[in-house]
Amino acid sequence: MSEPNIQLEKIDNYRWRISKNYKPGMRVCGLIYANEKLLESIYQDKALEQVANVAFLPGIVNYSLAMPDIHWGYGFPIGGVAATDIEEGGIISPGGVGFDINCGVRLLKTNLQYGDIKDKVEDLIYRLFNDIPAGVGSEGNIRVSAQEEKEILIKGARWAVEKGFGINDDLDCTEENGEIQGADPQAVSERAYQRGKAQSGTLGSGNHFLEVQLIDQLYDRQACDILGLNLGQVMVMIHSGSRGFGYQICEDYSRKMVESLAKYKINVPDKQLACAPVKSSEAEAYLGAMRCAANYAWANRQCLMHLTRQVFEKIFGLSWQKLGMFLVYDLAHNIAKIENHKVNGQDRRLCVHRKGATRAFGPGHPAIPEKYRKIGQPVIIPGDMGRNSFLLIGTERAMQETFGSTCHGAGRLRSRTAALKSINSDMLLKELKSKGIIVKASGRNTLAEEAPTVYKDVNEVVDVVDNAGIGKRVCRMRPLGVIKG
Amino acid sequence: MAHFITLANNMLKSYEVLEHTADIGIRVKSSSLEGLFKNAALAITGISAEKQKIQLPEKHKIIIRQKAVGVEELFINWLNELLSVSAAECLIFEDIKINEINEKFVDAVAIGTDMRNYKINTEIKAATYHQLKVQRSGPFWKAEVIFDV
Repeated sequence: MSEPNIQLEKIDNYRWRISKNYKPGMRVCGLIYANEKLLESIYQDKALEQVANVAFLPGIVNYSLAMPDIHWGYGFPIGGVAATDIEEGGIISPGGVGFDINCGVRLLKTNLQYGDIKDKVEDLIYRLFNDIPAGVGSEGNIRVSAQEEKEILIKGARWAVEKGFGINDDLDCTEENGEIQGADPQAVSERAYQRGKAQSGTLGSGNHFLEVQLIDQLYDRQACDILGLNLGQVMVMIHSGSRGFGYQICEDYSRKMVESLAKYKINVPDKQLACAPVKSSEAEAYLGAMRCAANYAWANRQCLMHLTRQVFEKIFGLSWQKLGMFLVYDLAHNIAKIENHKVNGQDRRLCVHRKGATRAFGPGHPAIPEKYRKIGQPVIIPGDMGRNSFLLIGTERAMQETFGSTCHGAGRLRSRTAALKSINSDMLLKELKSKGIIVKASGRNTLAEEAPTVYKDVNEVVDVVDNAGIGKRVCRMRPLGVIKG
Repeated sequence: MAHFITLANNMLKSYEVLEHTADIGIRVKSSSLEGLFKNAALAITGISAEKQKIQLPEKHKIIIRQKAVGVEELFINWLNELLSVSAAECLIFEDIKINEINEKFVDAVAIGTDMRNYKINTEIKAATYHQLKVQRSGPFWKAEVIFDV
């Protein structure tokens, strides 16, 4: 499946360019952040071809960007970033956001140390697995009325906080305060409501997880002090998205935009890149609906965090405040945002697509919570369930090169089918247990499909990001317990 | 599963799985467009669900009508409508009766039972246009499609 035709021009050890001449129709070059080792795996699938395809999008500026966790997706590669200039006919593409709109991660800290938890990890994981609905089509135990549902789409995580599922500080530490403006419930189809109605307060399936982790390495003492983090500290990471509600919105608008390609005379090499000018009625409706899904996902992660805090309270017999379970940060890694960036020294209003990529704004940006503004935006990078996850901060270089974006995870290396053929779930469970990692998964195939060996080594991915200067390592975590949806 | 055996009487194979790094691709083949659409629909069930002991035997019939500008768009709209109805109504489709089909229109009945009769192994989010192929080749209709999972 390799793509030998794509010649990459080496810019430096961490940057590689696909020429604009690779395919007629490309408006900009492709830029891939990777080292030589990661490139070997990137060449194994069709991700680079997808980077070239994204370069066709009207209004795209600078580059079609790919982060080091890039792999083959549909339409956009996973790990792709593309910004379009709204005043220059720039488009928005539902395929550049994906079906799981605002799939994202949140990281909360505790004041527990490994010694406080080591005899309780198994109890904790079983209790979390029991109390937090997970798995395909699972139904949440936080129920909402039809009226409340519309409120969630406007208020996002604030809805949850107003219901008592958290505090205002949680909102300060969430991208867009967990409440992106411009959500329009009128732009959401009845089917999307039906698909989403039973699922709030649940974890998704597949790569969605909740992990109890331990900080095992510090890289930036000053940033750790500001974030309140220390070696040996117990952390919790939650990964979830907008579920069926978001899938339906993506589907509804992908269909509409495929139909309107001719109307706007847009030519794309893959219909999954179907799009419409940001200044069009189709795009306006999609943005309104996509923001509803984003708010839904933020409300969902807020509820998941609330349920997690409750489980810790039961296991440790202390309030979550006494356990120091405060949110470090929450961010989206499948989203399109209207942002201001400098392009060739000029202030431009851009539509930034991050598909399997994370916002990573540098120090001083007003969108960063005041308490973190000096160091830059926290960036959470989940790895696989056997190795590590990272906390990074955004950089000024990311602002200049990647529209304030960086990688979102480890990135897949091997297909699910290959994983199922070669990995024995029982052996894997034993192996993880021998490393001190307790895992509970709800789907029969999930464990093998999500095995550590199917992912790239996140240490390698983060090394590239840090060396390229588009994210700065703060600390590393290793998993103690994992629940998989 | 029973419905695949029924299908296999008339068609060579219901579907085969294609390798994809993150998602799942399938290839389907049939001597007719009707068979192609049926096979692809039932591949969704084959990939995502595993039948358990039936607790809720009641059959639910859902009318699925889709139109599009061409056969590729119709194929994607058809699969996405089935995925969407399946999720919204909490049903797994076990059989498909196609009343009318051409390259721009399909009118069918999807017959399913309650999702709780199944163990869901893989959640399919949607069918995508990426590398989509729907074409007639000699005596057969063939299609390849990648599902986001």
